Amino acid sequence: MWRGLRGREVGATRPRSLATHVRADRVRQINLSGHKEIVSAHNSGINSLQIDCTEARYLLAGAADGSVGVYDTQQPTFMDSAIKVAKHEALFTVDKSVPQGHIYSVTCVQWYPVDTGLFVTGSFDKKINLWDTNTHQVELQFEMPEKVHAIAMSSIAATHMLVAAGTEDVRIRLCDLASGACTHTLSGHRDGVWALQWSATSEWVLYSGGCDGAIRFWDIRRAGCFQVLDQNRSQIERRSNVTSSTQRQELASAPVGSSSTSEMQRPVAKRTKPSTVSKPSKIAKIKDPGVRRSHPGMTLANDRSTAHHGSVTALQTSDDGLNLFSAGTDSRVRLWDIESGRNTLVNYEATKIRTHQGTQLAVSMDSSLLFVPSAHSLQVIEISL
Amino acid sequence: MSGWNYVVTAQKPTNVTHSCVGYFTNPQELNLIIAKCTRIEIHLLTASGLQSMLDVPLYGRIATLELFRPPGESQDVLFISFERYKFCVLQWDAETGSPITRAMGDVSDRTGRPTDNGQIGIVDPDCRLIGLHLYDGMFKVIPIDNKGQLKEAFNIRLEELQVLDIKFLYGCANPTIAVLYQDNKDARHVKTYEVNLKEKDFGEGPWLQNNLDNGAGLLIPVPLPLGGAIIIGEQTIVYYNGSVFKAIPIRPSITKAYGRVDSDGSRYLLSDHNGMLYLLVISHDKERVSALNVEPLGETSAASTLSYLDNGVVFVGSSYGDSQLIRLNHQADVKGSYVEVLESFVNLGPIVDLCVVDLERQGQGQVVTCSGAFKDGSLRIVRNGIGINEQASVELQGIKGMWSLRASSSDVYDTFLVVSFISETRILAMNTDDELEETEIDGFDSEAQTLFCHNAVHDQLVQVTAGSLRLVNAKTRKQLTEWKAPAPMTINVATANASQVLLATGGGNLVYIEIGQGTLTGVAHSQLEYEISCLDINPVGENPERSNLVAVGMWTDISVRIFALPSLTLINKEMLGGEIIPRSVLFCSFDGLAYLLCAVGDGHLFNFMLNPSTGELSDRKKISLGTQPIALRTFRSKNTTHVFAASDRPTVIYSSNKKLLYSNVNLKEVNHMCPFNSASFPDSLAIGKEGELTIGTIDDIQKLHIRTVPLGERPCRIAHQEQSRSFAICSAKYSQGPNNEDIETHYVRLIEDQTFEITSGFALDLYEIGCSIITCSFTDDSNVYYCVGTAYALPEESEPTKGRILVFLVEDGKLQLVAEKEMKGAVYNLNAFNGKLLAGINQKIALYKWTLRDGTRVLEIESSHHGHILALYVQSRGDFIVVGDLMKSISLLIYKK
Repeated sequence: MWRGLRGREVGATRPRSLATHVRADRVRQINLSGHKEIVSAHNSGINSLQIDCTEARYLLAGAADGSVGVYDTQQPTFMDSAIKVAKHEALFTVDKSVPQGHIYSVTCVQWYPVDTGLFVTGSFDKKINLWDTNTHQVELQFEMPEKVHAIAMSSIAATHMLVAAGTEDVRIRLCDLASGACTHTLSGHRDGVWALQWSATSEWVLYSGGCDGAIRFWDIRRAGCFQVLDQNRSQIERRSNVTSSTQRQELASAPVGSSSTSEMQRPVAKRTKPSTVSKPSKIAKIKDPGVRRSHPGMTLANDRSTAHHGSVTALQTSDDGLNLFSAGTDSRVRLWDIESGRNTLVNYEATKIRTHQGTQLAVSMDSSLLFVPSAHSLQVIEISL
Repeated sequence: MSGWNYVVTAQKPTNVTHSCVGYFTNPQELNLIIAKCTRIEIHLLTASGLQSMLDVPLYGRIATLELFRPPGESQDVLFISFERYKFCVLQWDAETGSPITRAMGDVSDRTGRPTDNGQIGIVDPDCRLIGLHLYDGMFKVIPIDNKGQLKEAFNIRLEELQVLDIKFLYGCANPTIAVLYQDNKDARHVKTYEVNLKEKDFGEGPWLQNNLDNGAGLLIPVPLPLGGAIIIGEQTIVYYNGSVFKAIPIRPSITKAYGRVDSDGSRYLLSDHNGMLYLLVISHDKERVSALNVEPLGETSAASTLSYLDNGVVFVGSSYGDSQLIRLNHQADVKGSYVEVLESFVNLGPIVDLCVVDLERQGQGQVVTCSGAFKDGSLRIVRNGIGINEQASVELQGIKGMWSLRASSSDVYDTFLVVSFISETRILAMNTDDELEETEIDGFDSEAQTLFCHNAVHDQLVQVTAGSLRLVNAKTRKQLTEWKAPAPMTINVATANASQVLLATGGGNLVYIEIGQGTLTGVAHSQLEYEISCLDINPVGENPERSNLVAVGMWTDISVRIFALPSLTLINKEMLGGEIIPRSVLFCSFDGLAYLLCAVGDGHLFNFMLNPSTGELSDRKKISLGTQPIALRTFRSKNTTHVFAASDRPTVIYSSNKKLLYSNVNLKEVNHMCPFNSASFPDSLAIGKEGELTIGTIDDIQKLHIRTVPLGERPCRIAHQEQSRSFAICSAKYSQGPNNEDIETHYVRLIEDQTFEITSGFALDLYEIGCSIITCSFTDDSNVYYCVGTAYALPEESEPTKGRILVFLVEDGKLQLVAEKEMKGAVYNLNAFNGKLLAGINQKIALYKWTLRDGTRVLEIESSHHGHILALYVQSRGDFIVVGDLMKSISLLIYKK
C-alpha cells in the first residue's frame, strides 16, 4: 500500500492502477460487515438484488412474498449503540397492497440505468411492473403469458428503452418503456428463459440463457439469434496467415464485437475528410454484419448445441465486455469468450446450483473475482483470465 | 463565497515525457520535438546548438508522440495521442510558421478496461497504419491510405491481456507487430501478428519467442537490413528475428528508455532507472547479427526519453530530474564517463510536497518544493518576481533624486552618482579601493537640490537646479555657461537628453534649450494654461541624441500632451481622466516599438503605443502597480532596455513577444532608482529607499526564478520552522548494496533556511520511512518542535502495522529527539490542533496531548475517531477536521471537549 501511494506521488504508478490494486485488495479481503446491517423488510426469501447504477448507493430487493424494498446502503437509519451496529432499514417497500402490485413472488428487480427515479420488477404473477421511486406507484404494467424469470435493461442503450423479459414461455419479449408495448419476440429457445444480459459493448446485442441449456446471442435489429454457445467448442481457429489466404468461412463465426466496432469508429472523424465520405453509418452498421455473417445460430447443427447440461441460471458479462460468465443447474460456472463464442475451459470449482428459478452472478470491478451463490454459501472464485 | 478566483499557471510543465527527432518544420533541417505533459516544444538543430522554435499548448495530457512521414511527402508529420483517448496529427505550415491539425479524432471505446501499463501508440514504419493499445485486449488500428489520409479506425481483439510493449517490425510485407506480454503465470513472451487491414483481423506472425527474462519490459524493433527486434530485460538483452537468436547477460538494471543512434540500427543508447547510460552495439555483417555488446557510458538524469540528435549530442528527457543535452565524447574523462553535460533544463517535477515561506521577510512568499525522485531529488526554491542582489549600501536620509554620470562621454562605465537632497547635492564616486566616497564636481551647484543632470554632447555635463541650468566641462569639471530662469521664476521640473534640455518654470512656462559646445541656446518658449507636473524628452526616434517629441504631464486638466520640437507646437493631447495628476512620463521603446508610459500619483500606470514620427498615441491601457506615486526610469540589463517603476510596489516593465509585461521586484519600497554601471559594480542599480541607498545587481528579467539545491536523495516531506530558521525534510537515500541490490534508507534532515546546508540528520530505523512532518508547539510549552510521523514498511506486509511519532527540538542547529511514541500503523499525516497533535494513523484519526510525566514530556492519547479506510490527508481549522480518505471521499469531523 505504502509503495503504491509513493509511486503515485512521484508519478511512477498511474493513479488508476493504484485504485485498481486497492480495490482488488479490498475485494479479496471481503467479509461480513460487523458494523453494518440491512434490516430486511420482507417476510420471505429475497430473490433478486441490485444496487443502482448512478450513485451506487440504493439497494433494490425483490422478495418471494411479492414485496420490493429500497434500502440506503450509505446512510444508516439508526445506530444500535448496544452492539455498535449501524442498521439500515428499508426506505420504502411496495407489495400487493399497492394498486397493481405483485401478488406472487418477485423474481427479478432492476433499476432504470439512467437514474434512480424508476425501477422494473418481474414476478411469478406474469406481470412486469415499472415503478416510480418517488410515488411508489406502478407507472406501467406489461402482461406476460407466463411466469417472469428474468428482466434486463441495457445500461449503455442510448437509442432504446427496452426491457428484455424471459419467462417460462420459450420466447423472449422486449417491452418498450417509451411506448408501453411489447415490440419484439425473440424465438429460439426450446424452454423457458431464466437468464438475460445485455452486451456491455453494443446496445443491440442481448445474451439469453434458457432451461434448455442454451445460451443464445441476439442482435435485436435482425431476426433470429446469431450465435448459440457450444460448451464443446473450445478451440479457437488458428489465425490465418494474411498473405496466404482469404478464407471467409472463418468469419462465419463472426465477432460479436463487430457491430460495436463500427460504433467505435464513428467518432474518429477526420478533419481532412469531407463528411460525405464517412459512411451513412446506420445503414453500414446493419448491412456490414449481414454480409459477413451467415446465421450459425439458425443452422441446424448449431441450433442444438448447449452451454450447460441443464438450465442456465445466470449470465454476467465482465466489465470490459470481452467475456461472459454463465452458471447452470449442472453446478458449473463457465467463462466464454464473447467474440469467438468459444468455451475458455477455465475449470472453476464446482458449485451447488439447485434452484428452480434464475440466480445472479457478480463480477468484481477489476474482473478478478466472481461471486456465485452456491447452496447455502456465496462462492468467491478467482477468474484468472 | 461570491468571489471568483483567478487561477494562472506560474510555471509551465517541465516534466519531459516524450521526445522525437525528425524533419518536421523543414525537409532539410532536423527538429527535436519535446512533449512536456500538456505542451510540445519544437526545437531546431543548428550548428550552434538547439534553437527553440515554438511552444505549443495542447488540450490534454500527451500519452504518446510519434513522428512519421506519409508516403510521397518530404516532411514528417506528428502523431499525438492523449490520455483522454483523443488523437491528432499535426503538420507544419511553413507560411504561418505554426503547426496545423491535419487530422484528429476520438479513439475511446465505451467499455473496456484501460491498460495498466500505459497507453501505446505506434506508427508502421512503412506508414500503412497507426496502432493504438488503449484498453486491455484491444488493438485499435487507424489505417493510412497511400495518400497519407487516415481512414476509419477499427478494433482487433488481442488475446494477450497484460501487454507490456508493442512495436511495429521493419521490413515486413504486411504490417507486423511484436507484442511483449505477460501471461497469467507471470512469464513473459513475445508474439508477432500481421495486421490484415482488409479483413480487420490479425494473422499469424512470422515468429514468437517464449519464456523471456522475467523483467523484460522494452522492445526495440531493428530496421533493415537486419530486421527483428531486441528485447531488453532486467538481466539479459535478447536479439531475435525468427532465425537468429543472440542473448547477452547484463548488470541487473531496469531499462527505462532507449534511443537509436544509427539509422541502420546497429547502435542504441539505453538508460536505466538510476540514470546510467549504456551503449548497445549490434555487430553484424549487414545481413546477420553476430554479437551484442553493452558498454556503460556514464551517468545522466534518470531518463524517460532519449533522442540522439547528431555528432554525439543526445537529448535526455527526464521526468524525475532536470532534462539534459549531453555530448558523448570519444575519450572518457577522469571519472571514466563519456558523458559531458552541455545544457540542463530545469524540471520541477514530480513535486511531492512543498511549503510556502517568506525567507527574506519582504512579504513575498517563496515556494520550496520537494522535487525530483531517486538520485535526482532536490529542493527547489521558486520565487516570483525579480530579486535585487545587494552589493553595497549606505545610510542616507531624505534622498530626493539620483543620477549617474560618466566621467567622459567615451567612458563605458559610470563614475559619479549624483544624489540630490532637499537643499544640497552630493556627488559620490568610486575611489581606487572600490569604495563609494563623496567627491565634488566644481562646476556643479552643490548648495541646491538638483532637479536633473545628465551627460551631454561634446563631453559636457548638465545640471539643473531650481535656480539655473549649468553646463560643465566633463574633463576640467569647470562650469562653461549657465542659464538662469528669469526672476522671480524658478525651475520646477526639468529633463534633458544628450543635446536638448527642457525646463518648466512656474506658471506653465515651458522652455526648450539646445546644448552646443559650451553654449546653451534658448530655442523656443511656450506658455501653457496650467502648471506642468512632469516632462520627458527621452529619444525614441532614429537619433539617440535628439528627440523631436516632448511629453508633458499637466496639473489641473490631468492630461498628457505631446509637443513637437524644436517649435514646441502642441500635436497631441490625451486626457487621462480622474483627479490624480500625472507624476512621471517616459518615452521608451521595447522590441522596436515606441511607447509612452505615464504614471499617476495613485500608483496607476497608463501606457500608450506611440508613433515616433507623428506623435500619435494609440492603444491606451491602464494598470495599477501600487498605491503611491510612481517614478519611471529606464535601465539596461543584458543589453535590453527595461523600465523601472519605483513606488511602494516596485515593478520592472519589459516586453516579450511585443507585449508589455510587469514583474514585481522583491523590494519593499523604492523611492528613486538610477542605473549605476560602474567598473566595480557592473550592470548595477542604485536604489534609494527610505533612509538608505543601495547598490545591487538585478536578476534576469523574467517572472519566475528557480534555485536548485541538489540533495542526492529523494525529499518527500518538508516543513519550515520560523523560530529556528530551518527546514526539516524527510528524505530517502538510495544506494547499492554489496550484491547490487537497491537499498533505501530514510532520514530526517535539518536544513538551514538561508544557505540550504544540511546541518543535522537523524537516521530512521531499517524499513522505517518518514510519512509526514510538521512544525508545531503545544499548550504549556514555549518550545517549537518538529514532529515526524513514520511507518515501518516491512517487505512482507502490504499495510504498515507499526509506525512512530517522533518529536524533535532544534538546539544549536541540531535535531534533538525529545519524545517518541509507537503507533499501530503508518502515521500518514500530522497536524497541529489547538496546542495538541492530530495524527492520521491508518484507519483512525487520533488526538495526542503533550503531558508531563515524571519530569519528561510524553505524547498521550486524548481521543480518536475510527471508521476510515486510510486517512491519507487531514487538515484542520478551529475545531473542524477534514479527512480525505483513500476510498471514502471526504468527511468532516468536529472536536468537542
